Amino acid sequence: MKLHEYQAKSILKKAGIPLPVSHLAGNAGQVKRISNEIGYPVVLKAQTLEAGRGHAGGVRIVHNENEIENVSNEIFKLVLNQQPIQFILVEKAFTFYKEYYLGIISDLDEGTPVLRISEAGGATFLEAESFKDALTVDQAIDINRGLKDYQIREVLVNLGIAPNYWKQFQVIARKLYEVYRQNDASLAEINSLVLTELDQLYALDVKISIDTQSLYRQEAFFDALDPSYFGWEEREAMKYNLDYHSFPGEIGCIVNGMGLAYLTMEQLLLINHLPAAVIDIRGGATSSSITSALGMLLANQQVKVIIVNIFGGMTHCDETAQGLIQALEESTRKKPVFLRLEGTNGTPGLDLLLKTENLTLFRSTEALVNAAATWLRGDEQ
Amino acid sequence: MSVLINADSRIMVQGITGKRGRFHALQMLATGSQLIGGTSPGKGGEWCFDGRIPIFDTVSECVQSTNADVSIIFVPPHATADAILEAIDAGIKTIISITGSIPLHDMMTVKSALKNSEAVLVGPNSPGVLVPGIANAGIFPNNLAMRGNVGIVSRSGTLCYEVLDCLTQAGIGVSTAVGLGDDPIIGIDFLTCLELFEADPRTDQIIMIGGPGGDSEIKAASYINSQLTKPVIAWIVGENLALPLLRPFFDKSGNLSSEVLNKKTRSLKEAGVLIANKIEEIPSLINR
Repeated sequence: MKLHEYQAKSILKKAGIPLPVSHLAGNAGQVKRISNEIGYPVVLKAQTLEAGRGHAGGVRIVHNENEIENVSNEIFKLVLNQQPIQFILVEKAFTFYKEYYLGIISDLDEGTPVLRISEAGGATFLEAESFKDALTVDQAIDINRGLKDYQIREVLVNLGIAPNYWKQFQVIARKLYEVYRQNDASLAEINSLVLTELDQLYALDVKISIDTQSLYRQEAFFDALDPSYFGWEEREAMKYNLDYHSFPGEIGCIVNGMGLAYLTMEQLLLINHLPAAVIDIRGGATSSSITSALGMLLANQQVKVIIVNIFGGMTHCDETAQGLIQALEESTRKKPVFLRLEGTNGTPGLDLLLKTENLTLFRSTEALVNAAATWLRGDEQ
Repeated sequence: MSVLINADSRIMVQGITGKRGRFHALQMLATGSQLIGGTSPGKGGEWCFDGRIPIFDTVSECVQSTNADVSIIFVPPHATADAILEAIDAGIKTIISITGSIPLHDMMTVKSALKNSEAVLVGPNSPGVLVPGIANAGIFPNNLAMRGNVGIVSRSGTLCYEVLDCLTQAGIGVSTAVGLGDDPIIGIDFLTCLELFEADPRTDQIIMIGGPGGDSEIKAASYINSQLTKPVIAWIVGENLALPLLRPFFDKSGNLSSEVLNKKTRSLKEAGVLIANKIEEIPSLINR
């Protein structure tokens, strides 16, 4: 779960990492008041979780009070990936002569945190070519020992950074690692970390992602789940331990496991269909979470037809069937449900479903997907 | 005769009195797996399944009394890293975590501990290890597979069931099926599992079931190319999905690199692996 820039910056500020002065504004009047207070020039930064903010005109420098209202109104009118801009971060602008990248990232294949520092920072760092060209050094961290000073020093030496800057880099790297650990982050990065003319390092832009599996012990973030990132369905689904993903199609899918989600989506794509939503009920789903999953698809107006594709190991077919029946009984909306149910307790599961209306059984993913698509075409004619 | 588990494996279950742990432990007993004990803190000294299986408070007590060498974990996600560490410290050789969705930093702690131990971790979010006719060390549906000479290794649990079902219908048997697990950070990967199959005299050919995310199939490809002598068939699911369709599944962990996407099938093909474009093609690629 990505945090907004202002959320990430407030965490870094509390950790004692040097940042430019900034305040959050919800309208043009607030932007003007804050700008006058901190002094021009200011940078106005649209708060969005969507990529490409800079290219869309969401980051603007304003040099004096005359322009401030116009520019902030322009930013508030921006819509990025259908999400309106609700907040602007007003930040004191200042000059710098060198940009770095400093991040704590997660190496999932090795299962370690990694300290990464690069001689090239800024927006271009993330573009593949310059990333390869830039001198970048990684240092794997043993999470049971923590980030050690010598490890930071090795990175700095390998990058050829002059010793008079080491202390500042070390303090920031250590504090950023603490931020990563304390917040159960999957990513904590400063890009760019800039060197001012007074030889001071400042964190100009910051990204933090929180590991979704750790939200149960990071309650502050769970409360702050941003509707612009997690839609109503996604948040509702989390309550029932479901993964809900929205897409632009018309077919609602319930599956157990990511592998079956990919397989179902690939089959849909082969016949030129997209899902409207894919709900992964994960392993061991209870009948009540299945009721919620089907209930959400029945209620979703974008969904015209529903596919349930379950091959249960720890997900038991009898409990799945009970959950489906309950959702169909509770809902006033009728939609066709195409079902494939195999695996643990398969026979008792299928027995339960024999008398259920609006429900058709299939044996393979391909047959299931084709039947739903055929129904859709019939419905359109 | 198989990998990771064999007829001599002494299997215990961590979380044997929980709803899922209890159900699947009973399935193991019913299908003849050598289940010899379990843990449920606070219920040590009790017995379950009509007095057939002893319950212990700790894994080390269970190991001392029963010589357990395989443990299957069914505890809740927030307690799973603790359970894995307990199993490592108690000297369990093969640890299988059925539970998934483990906090990222918890798994990093586990990975660090595994480096300094002899233990092998399968999972988290694994369906377990199935040796047909010998042991269902996990949650594989009953009667899914028959005994044979094909080794299977899969990242996804459900797709592993799909392939087992497909092979059984075609009359093809399996030596061992290993579910690596679907969590962002897992224990053993494709490469390690291929090494085990290479050393197993009962496995003559191998099926790999992969998907998007990470680069573990690509690492496996270079091993297949340079060292593996047994034929490999790969079914990579999800490679035809465009990045915007895949992205939502990876927001949790961000383990999706566009550099790796679409290259897995190609790397495996270049390493001499037979590629199945659809599941139905797999039986025809098997050497009978």
